[in-house]
Amino acid sequence: MNRPVKRTFFWMTVLILVCLLVFPMYIMLKISVSAPRDVFTQNPPYLVRHFTLSHFRDVLASGSVFFAPLSKSVVTALGTSVLSLLLTVPAAYAISRFRYRARYGLILVIFLTRMIPEISIALPVSITFIKGGLFDTVFGLMLAHLVRVLPISCFILVGVFSSFPKELEKQALIDGAGRLYAFFKIVLPLSLRGISVAGIFSFMFSWDEFIYASYLTLSKPTMPLKMYYYISRGNIFSSATYAVIITIPVLIFTFALQRYIRPGYLSGAMKG
Amino acid sequence: MKKPFLFCASAVFLFALISCGPGSGSKDRLTVTMSLGESEWQVMRSKVFPLFESRYGVKVEGIQIESGSLATKLDALQKAGKAEIDVVAQDNMNLAVLVNKGLVEDLSQYEDEIPANTIPSLVQSLKFDGRLLFMPFRPNVQIVYYHKEKFDEYGLEVPRTWEQLRETAKMLKEKEERGRILLKGFGGNPTATQVYEFILQAGGEPYAFDDEGCIRAFAFLQKLWPYAAQGSQRAKWDTTNRMIANQQVYLAQNWPFGVTILVKEYGLDFIGTYSGWKGPHGERHVIGGDVLGIPSISARKELARKFIWFLQSKEVQELLVGELGWPSMRTDAYGQVEEWQKQYYASVQKAMKHGEFRENVTWWPAYVKYVTEAFREIVIEQAPVEETLKKYKKKLEGAKELYRER
Repeated sequence: MNRPVKRTFFWMTVLILVCLLVFPMYIMLKISVSAPRDVFTQNPPYLVRHFTLSHFRDVLASGSVFFAPLSKSVVTALGTSVLSLLLTVPAAYAISRFRYRARYGLILVIFLTRMIPEISIALPVSITFIKGGLFDTVFGLMLAHLVRVLPISCFILVGVFSSFPKELEKQALIDGAGRLYAFFKIVLPLSLRGISVAGIFSFMFSWDEFIYASYLTLSKPTMPLKMYYYISRGNIFSSATYAVIITIPVLIFTFALQRYIRPGYLSGAMKG
Repeated sequence: MKKPFLFCASAVFLFALISCGPGSGSKDRLTVTMSLGESEWQVMRSKVFPLFESRYGVKVEGIQIESGSLATKLDALQKAGKAEIDVVAQDNMNLAVLVNKGLVEDLSQYEDEIPANTIPSLVQSLKFDGRLLFMPFRPNVQIVYYHKEKFDEYGLEVPRTWEQLRETAKMLKEKEERGRILLKGFGGNPTATQVYEFILQAGGEPYAFDDEGCIRAFAFLQKLWPYAAQGSQRAKWDTTNRMIANQQVYLAQNWPFGVTILVKEYGLDFIGTYSGWKGPHGERHVIGGDVLGIPSISARKELARKFIWFLQSKEVQELLVGELGWPSMRTDAYGQVEEWQKQYYASVQKAMKHGEFRENVTWWPAYVKYVTEAFREIVIEQAPVEETLKKYKKKLEGAKELYRER
């Protein structure tokens, strides 16, 4: 196969994959801005024929029905993101300074927790949380989300710190700086891009979390729970509108993330 | 060096502040869970709860919990020993799991306090092994939705017997080259309830599984299936609304909650409703709806009982008929439904007249499982009716033993 043919084949494959991934999102967006007559026909058109923002207006006009879950989701996701960084930045830095085998082993152990399906541990974890007075609180939900978020965040940050040039750190130590001083003044500022990647990932993992939220929430649902409510009641427009609103921050962060992400961040833990 | 520490300390302080929200277990508050639509919650919060609050001096907090999630949530709270929920309104198709896990209080001693004008068979359906574990609240029944314009276009009458149902299904398929009547073949409660109703109409005893009526009902469904809409294999109660709205199907049975969504919210005025069809043993429908229970963990059981009586009162039942078009559990509660709702409410009332309460059994989940499997084999895959039913009856008997041992 010559080179132009290979390239065409490659781009065709990419295009098909992109279409497959983007199409459901397009349909979701289309329903959220379509008048009912565009949707409730035997052969709904692929393009929006009767554009309307009334579904968004209805959702926004519902007041606390919409804003309470939104604010809870935002606070929970931001809090989880900050908490995860507070815990994983020092942990990942320490792990990254181990020898390769120890580092690799530790990362494997951390990832073992991700191998257990969440649904199977959600009940015992939730019971422990409820006993600890964390039921129906934002802080409780943040801690529960950390179960999901910490391994990923730690994995990314070990990669970040492993790829940090050790010579710079050594130079600071030679110049008389202590370990902590060197970490806060040299390593941390120069690793901020990688740390933001871990923070954004943590935010996104917490933002769309459903299982722990369904166990630990009683009176104030998060956005995914609210969306589930509309889906289970069979209201297609509210479901699509909520789905779009939930997706917007994820899209923004994903595009923002692209600028910062480097392959090394996601593979560094495994590097020798 | 100080800044990061300052940041950490502030963050921890902030989280601590956030986590110190009010607990749900305060003495002057009654927590009630229901699974309702937004308009239904509005009536509850603006008209029903304030009445109780003014009389008893407590705040009623209404919380939305989907029927399928209630058991797991109550289970977690019970195991953690937290009394956060005082009254539950639960779909009567999902009661067995609450009973099997011992999550609700035995209310047998309060049976005499049920209002005298309550539909009598409604109480019997809430007993498990002779114990009254739930109280009646809101009976409900499925009605048939149909596409008025298409029926007019083809000069069709709505089917009122099994034979007419098959003829209509056949004719629609011939005219449109695809099935247009919907059967619920996805499985679970929707399929089991549908089969249960057909068995009643065939004169069978649904739990017998292989009596003459059961065989007749499955045989009819098997013959009907080739004319059913393609979406039937995915059809559940929530997906049915979408298929009717999209005009993928012209005739489907569903609970009346669809009326609010399809007619009031979507404005689809081509949708008509009627009570349903009759089988060889007449028109018979399974009565569903919501019932009330008191979780074992509730710390305010006395107040919870008072709230249940309040919801069962003539005053509240009439309010619910008038505001929401809910059929009443009482024979003496009358209300004036809104104008747009009248024709649909009439269908519900007529179907209720032919309604029958399903005997509640602790092994209902096993019944649902085997009916779903039997439906798939017999109706969808066209397996022989009698021997397949016998096979699943045997499996059900084995499963019943397991439930008895618990």
